[in-house]
Amino acid sequence: MAIDPNIVELINADIDGEISPADKDTLAAMMAESPEARAMHAELSGLSSTLDELPDLDAPPYLIHTIMAQIPKPESQDRRGDFLRGLFAAPALRYAAMFAAGSVLTLSLVNSDQVSERAFSDVTGLVGTISSEVPVGPGIQTMQIDRTDVAGHITLRSSGPLLIVDFDLVSNGPIDIVASYSDQSVWFNGFAQLESPGASISAESGRISMKIDGKRRYALYLHNPGDRNVSINLRFMSDGEVVYDTDVQYAQPGQPG
Amino acid sequence: MNRPDDKKLMERCVKGDRRAFEALLVRYQKPVYNAAYRMLNNSEDARDVTQTVFLKVYENLDQYDPSHRFFSWIYRIAMNESINWLKKSSRQEALEHETADQGDGPEQLAGDAQLGEGMEAALMMIKSEYRAVIILKHVLGCSYIEISEALDIPEKKVKSRLFTGRQLLQERLTQQGLH
Repeated sequence: MAIDPNIVELINADIDGEISPADKDTLAAMMAESPEARAMHAELSGLSSTLDELPDLDAPPYLIHTIMAQIPKPESQDRRGDFLRGLFAAPALRYAAMFAAGSVLTLSLVNSDQVSERAFSDVTGLVGTISSEVPVGPGIQTMQIDRTDVAGHITLRSSGPLLIVDFDLVSNGPIDIVASYSDQSVWFNGFAQLESPGASISAESGRISMKIDGKRRYALYLHNPGDRNVSINLRFMSDGEVVYDTDVQYAQPGQPG
Repeated sequence: MNRPDDKKLMERCVKGDRRAFEALLVRYQKPVYNAAYRMLNNSEDARDVTQTVFLKVYENLDQYDPSHRFFSWIYRIAMNESINWLKKSSRQEALEHETADQGDGPEQLAGDAQLGEGMEAALMMIKSEYRAVIILKHVLGCSYIEISEALDIPEKKVKSRLFTGRQLLQERLTQQGLH
């Protein structure tokens, strides 16, 4: 027997939680008289429950950062907190232009056997792309960052006496990253950039400063001739304020970090 | 609740406050992504649509009517973008063709023991206009009036689409032997 359309509407309203108390009473009275209406109510309730219980999915990681990176920045924001800009003006440090010019060297050039044995006091070291052919060891340490200002992964690897800190990050504004280490026997050995260019860098003994804005993938190379345990502090700053502070640790194989 | 309401955040957005936009993004990325995912049944497409939705919101900040709720506006953009995406990818055509093929249900989903999975498949077999109201109701938890605002259709039509959409889902599940 066909169900009265008014009952059908009330059943749907009841299931959707949009029924008035008076209509609810009316529906109850109608359902008491109609097994078909009761069956329909039960069927729709089950269906609604199944729909309500569909899994709630998390948004993909870094979605916020990816979107924010596409939002135009006001003019004034570009001028703020730019403590590295002065440093980049120095000729020895102005090698971001090298990226723009499309300098492409493979990481094999960053093999420590081919570079000077002196510690670099600036970033006139090697620049290149991260090459998949490089025989790097597995990640010693990988950390995930998921902050409002910056998100992504940082992986520390080793290749002979080289330590490679691989940054795969997305920021939603200018972020200054300062990597510092206290062991003076470790020195800056190069910087490589993959995917979008634009990261800038300066280095001095025991302290390397980088600037990112948007999606960036790059690597820092440190020469660690004594295969010593090394702790590298990474400090992320937005507008001069520290937004994230962490350490990556290299421990000589077989030794605690 | 201590957090600023959507309207205040939108006012700040219009004045160029990126942080306010980011706050809205944090608040709505998940529901928009879920809505897009349920419309498209594909995580990569849903991610792309979600990005497009927020970029459209940003580009059209000046077109937001403060007399309406922000979420109605963004959900409308999300639904429209999802439907456009389906049209562009021609998937809708394929799905509607699939819907017309009455014999595909049980075989296709044989082995899918879980009703939830069957429901996900069934959702993709109904027309997007019905899917949209069902998603707004059951995934995003909107009321009739909110759905009406989001889709810009009369409340009466919301009710009829919900009813028809559920009936169609019921049929699909029955065909699959899941209900």
